[in-house]
Amino acid sequence: MSSINGSDIKKVVVACDAGMGSSVLLTSQMSKTLKPYNVTVEHSSVDRIPADADLVLCHSGLASRARANKPGTVVVPFQMFMGDPAFARVEQAIKAGETLAD
Amino acid sequence: MTTPTPTDSQKPGRFEASRAAVQKFGGYLSGMVMPNIGAFIAWGLITALFIPDGWFPNETLAALVDPMIGYLLPLLIGYTGGRLVYDQRGAVVGAIATMGVVVGADVPMFLGAMIIGPLAAFLLKMVDKVLQPRIHAGFEMLYNNFSSGILGGAMAIVGLLGIGPVVQTITEVLGAGVQALIDLSLLPLVSIIVEPAKVLFLNNAINHGVFTPLGTARVDETGQAIEFLIETNPGPGLGILLAVMFFGPKISRATAPGAIVIQFLGGIHEIYFPYILAQPKLILAAIAGGVAGVTTFMVLDAGLVGPPSPGSIIALMAVSPRGGHLPVLAGVFAATAVSFIVASFLLGFGRSERAKEKAQHTQEAK
Repeated sequence: MSSINGSDIKKVVVACDAGMGSSVLLTSQMSKTLKPYNVTVEHSSVDRIPADADLVLCHSGLASRARANKPGTVVVPFQMFMGDPAFARVEQAIKAGETLAD
Repeated sequence: MTTPTPTDSQKPGRFEASRAAVQKFGGYLSGMVMPNIGAFIAWGLITALFIPDGWFPNETLAALVDPMIGYLLPLLIGYTGGRLVYDQRGAVVGAIATMGVVVGADVPMFLGAMIIGPLAAFLLKMVDKVLQPRIHAGFEMLYNNFSSGILGGAMAIVGLLGIGPVVQTITEVLGAGVQALIDLSLLPLVSIIVEPAKVLFLNNAINHGVFTPLGTARVDETGQAIEFLIETNPGPGLGILLAVMFFGPKISRATAPGAIVIQFLGGIHEIYFPYILAQPKLILAAIAGGVAGVTTFMVLDAGLVGPPSPGSIIALMAVSPRGGHLPVLAGVFAATAVSFIVASFLLGFGRSERAKEKAQHTQEAK
């Protein structure tokens, strides 16, 4: 169980299997939504998440790999690649400084 | 976990663990190939353009074909495989060792590179672990360079004499296996495994771990490969997204059109997986579409000259051989149609959704 306050998030990593396909798609969307809050968004493979990631977003089917790879970092899983409530939840937490836990 | 699949209802914990393990192994395989897809495509395009029955036959430029598939592609895989295990030092010994399996082999040594690249890097990692702490100050660079050089050279010899011949036999057996499936008209049944595995996020592992190496070897022999079309066909996913767009739950109907653009044109297949994970019965539509697609490809003798990655219709057209566009389109269309029909049927043509919405409306009206 780990948690992080939205105001401490400086770097969000979107992870997928290869780190080249769906994560890139979501990275370009998320970096647009999170730009006003000075949060950088990067993409990577779930097996090679950068060490300085504050928050990891990945599909729930890959979440256990992401957690095994980065214990202690909050992993927010999502179901749908478009319009999943998880994305809004992350934006809201960053905007309002709320706590995110997994 | 809220991704129910037909098999995990009893033991979600163990299923989840084994799925993560299989995904991770697959991630290694695809991780060696995927960063190098650009080189595979370059090779495929050069082959399609300049070989004797290509678009612009040209002997001078066709000289690129053999060295690229024989050396460049396996070396890139071995290099990348080594880097996955032990960064730059691993990459270098991985490439040296790969040279051993490549030389003297008369098949493209992708499988050999996938084995010996990471293996050499792993051995160097072990050796470093033992010896590096004992290195006298000032001798680090001397140690680093010569340990890589000696171990890499030794592994190249092991590859040439030991691993290479074994892997060559395995590669030939695997290639013959696919050929036997084609000869017996059983290739479409591969979709029964491939389509569900895709949805469990093994899509890259299957495509780039298995089909890209096999297909590239076949292109080298026959000029085109059906292997490239099995996992990358965007038809089954498109059919499901279309069915969801017309007959799915209200929330899915709204996102499906955008998903179609990303999936069919952008080639990001992952986007339709959640729709199946949410309604696992839809996997039957994906399988039916996959079988229909592969059958059409097989009957019409469709194939591609390089891996279409990502699996977008644009990529498929770009790596279709001269005169081979229509069979590819036919297979994509057949897969789309069958998957759409089956998925629509499974969704009851939207009847239950309409009933649900109607009930909601009347409730709101009250």
